[in-house]
Amino acid sequence: MNPLLEQFLSEARDFLQGIGEKLMQLENNPGNAELMTELFRFVHTLKGNSGLFEFPEMTRVLHAGEDLMDAVRHGQVEFSKELADRLLDSMDFVGLLCDEIEANGNIGAAHAADSARLAASLRQLIVKVESPAAVAAVVAASLLATLAETHAGQGEGERLPLVKIPETVRMDAYRHACKGAALHWLDYAPAEECFFQGDDPFFQARNTPGILWGGITTRQPWPKLAEPDAYRCVLDFHVLSTAPREELDEYYRYMPDQVRMIPVPPLSLALPDGKHNGGPMYEEFVSNAIGLLGKGRLEGLSRAARTLLDLSRPDLWLSSALRWLLLVMELEPENQDAFGALIKSLRHLIPPQWAELQPGLPGKTLEPESTLTPAEAEALTALLAVQRNILTLPIEASWQLGRIKAVASALSGCLKASGNLAALPGLEAATAMALNEAVSTPLLVWLDGALQERQQAATAETQTVQADAITRTSPNTEGQSKFGRRSEDVVAGSKSIKVDQVKIDRLMNLIGEMVVSKNALPYLAGRAETVFGVRELSREIKAQYAVINRIAEEMQDAIMQVSMMPVSFVFQRFPRLVRDTSRKLGKEVNLVLEGEETEADKNIIESLGDPLVHIVRNSLDHGFELPEVRLASGKPAVGTLTIRATQESDRVVIEISDDGKGIDPKVIKQKAYEKGIIDEAALERISDQEAVNLVFASGFSTVEVVSDLSGRGVGMDVVKTAVERVNGTVALESAKGKGTRIRLSLPLSMAVTNVMIVESDGQVFGMPMDSVVETVRVPRSAIRTIKNSLVTVLRGCIVPLKSINTLLEIDAPPIANAEDELAILVVRLGDESVGLLVDDFRETVDIILKPLSGVLAGLSAYSGSALMGDGSVLMILNVKEML
Amino acid sequence: MKRILIVDDAATVRMYHRNILETAGYAVDEAVNGIEALEKSLQEPFDLYVVDVNMPKLDGYGFLRELRSQDILQAPAIMVSTEAESNDHKQAYAAGANDYLIKPVKPEQLLIHVKLLIGETFT
Repeated sequence: MNPLLEQFLSEARDFLQGIGEKLMQLENNPGNAELMTELFRFVHTLKGNSGLFEFPEMTRVLHAGEDLMDAVRHGQVEFSKELADRLLDSMDFVGLLCDEIEANGNIGAAHAADSARLAASLRQLIVKVESPAAVAAVVAASLLATLAETHAGQGEGERLPLVKIPETVRMDAYRHACKGAALHWLDYAPAEECFFQGDDPFFQARNTPGILWGGITTRQPWPKLAEPDAYRCVLDFHVLSTAPREELDEYYRYMPDQVRMIPVPPLSLALPDGKHNGGPMYEEFVSNAIGLLGKGRLEGLSRAARTLLDLSRPDLWLSSALRWLLLVMELEPENQDAFGALIKSLRHLIPPQWAELQPGLPGKTLEPESTLTPAEAEALTALLAVQRNILTLPIEASWQLGRIKAVASALSGCLKASGNLAALPGLEAATAMALNEAVSTPLLVWLDGALQERQQAATAETQTVQADAITRTSPNTEGQSKFGRRSEDVVAGSKSIKVDQVKIDRLMNLIGEMVVSKNALPYLAGRAETVFGVRELSREIKAQYAVINRIAEEMQDAIMQVSMMPVSFVFQRFPRLVRDTSRKLGKEVNLVLEGEETEADKNIIESLGDPLVHIVRNSLDHGFELPEVRLASGKPAVGTLTIRATQESDRVVIEISDDGKGIDPKVIKQKAYEKGIIDEAALERISDQEAVNLVFASGFSTVEVVSDLSGRGVGMDVVKTAVERVNGTVALESAKGKGTRIRLSLPLSMAVTNVMIVESDGQVFGMPMDSVVETVRVPRSAIRTIKNSLVTVLRGCIVPLKSINTLLEIDAPPIANAEDELAILVVRLGDESVGLLVDDFRETVDIILKPLSGVLAGLSAYSGSALMGDGSVLMILNVKEML
Repeated sequence: MKRILIVDDAATVRMYHRNILETAGYAVDEAVNGIEALEKSLQEPFDLYVVDVNMPKLDGYGFLRELRSQDILQAPAIMVSTEAESNDHKQAYAAGANDYLIKPVKPEQLLIHVKLLIGETFT
């Protein structure tokens, strides 16, 4: 993807995000003009950006959105929830298009219909205040635009002015057509205001693919020289093209309603044209030729035609007809009807009625200017007219002389560009005089003189411009207000850069290796002393190690800060989610977000997204009551959902609380019992608090009717699993009738893991400290066998025991110490504790856990590996998978 | 080399214009709003300005008015806008623009206008 497109997509996403946020804020604060202006600017800029690319589907929707917001900010349309809904839908659509562009580099044609529908639905809101008829007109117009393929008039009975095309061009076209090219006649009627829409009709027409010929006609007779409005396009363009229809459709896809494409049958180009001189005098040739044709003697016919052609003046109608006859005979030798028609046309000098096609209005052919290219000359004319226009504006203050200087700069640029260096001294003199007297008249006089020299047509244009300008010399009030927009439109600019995640990951990896390899220094110091006996050096190495250690730790902290991001990243989706969901359910919920600036590692934040969405949906679906129910139970009709993030030492805590109906522990207990999650004994024993936490048990769902929102067969157990995957915990508290609070506790960062090293059969393994409950040594006699399983009793609880050697398929018995005690590492597995028989315990270390890759990735007993200070590799055990 | 300042709040538009102009051999600088544009112009005036209308802090009109009231080399300015402001081109001229183009500006169109205003001879 090219960088410009990447830039566009990244900026577009920011804008979409911004638009969503502003819309939410506007809903709570509909009269806020500042928000409205900001919102308009976002949509406006986004539309402008999209216009740089070939994304008509996107631009169409954004354009409609922009017009709508413009109407809203000018008070023509009232801001409503419905309006916000439609705008949000449209922005979602744009977001979807962005995704597609990112994936495929373009937008599939399938979106055209959606785009038209959304644009029409937005435009509908704009005209609502007007009249129903206008609505219909707008909707119809936007639908028409999408049905670009169904152009009017497909040739039948169409009278094309083909005869205006020079014969050689027509013959050329005919040759192309006989080789299989498609021939199309294009009528391109640009909108009058097309110059203001960024169209350049002349350029557009001239660059039509496969163009053989082009012509221009005026829509109405030319007005007097002084009258034309240079800013309106009153010309129609005509093009004869050999390009395939699809290519033409593609080329004119932005203006399908302004273009008619009419297929041209090749023979209809065979229109003899020229001086009539004579008339039925060719009767002899005609009857002779028809005779030859009847006998199939084409060679003779061709010879006769050639002879007559040689004898005739080339500009005669006769000659033209003969040339066509010879060409058609050459290219379509089997089409004898065509020869006959051409021959017979000589009798009355009336072109053959190929398919009722007849010459129509006279066309005006293009006359390119001599020195500059037509586009350049056109631009130059327009620029000079504009400069003259500027000079007619009154000078009200001395600083406005800057405007005159700028005009002089522009004019000198135009002179140099068009190679008219001789006029430069005159311009300089006029400028000096104008500045001296603080009036624009001298420059205006000079410019008029220059223009007169240039050409009459140009003068005519400037006069209209002047007339236009005089009517608008009063100060523009809108301009004043825009100028004063400074304070209200300040956007907080943050000094931040976007960095690819891959780069940060690389930094994290590098610092991980650095932290580990610095640990080799104490080892080295030890060797210096014990092996080489240099105690002095050993001390120096240790001193240096302290320095490196401090820097490395600080660096690690700094790098971790880089990948920290605020929880607002996940929170920002909730205003929309809560709004849409609660409206769908007919509930009224006010969302309160707190502590959005709390930071945590990016991976942690990202893993939070889905569980949070699930919790919030659950709460909206099952937690909150309908407004009337709330009122009946003495609560405010509008419920409050609070999502609060806080940092507690090295953990991020997220609390989601609602003031809904809460969870009834009795119902939960009953349900859990029915589903076999708890037994009868537990039913009696467990506390209410324990009961409500049963919702996290897998396969638990209390609502009978599966709802559209949350009950899709996944329960809160999914939340629990997702949170535990990143070493987090989840707890639920609920008071019946008062509400529910769910508390997620997550580590700040996943980068560093604290592990305990254990030894077994001469190998070392790492066990994450999160799952370690305790380490104990028990005498061999305290270990019993129940039903083929080893168990021991710790503080009155039975703890099942597993040998780590057995689990890892190491063929060795656990080794006991001198007192015949076995080492047991008690780990947490869900809500249970399990004892692992190991040979010995070692220290705990901080490691950077790296997942196993390649073939080793299949070893589920390990969650990864870590590099130790002495260069050895430590395998980290995955308790859950192992058991 | 002729120096051109692009003033636009949209990074995409700045990049688009920069690509066109740099390819054509101009030296290009950017500003994200009128204030920044003014600061840059005062440090060293440019040979041409390509200015957006709608920007935060100080918009295109505001910038041009401020620019024209400075006692510096007054280079031509092209105001670039979208059709929503199509009726405002007179206002742009009053503020001190010398030309008015409508977004999206086609590369050929931009280059023609830039060449004409900046005074580089066509070859």
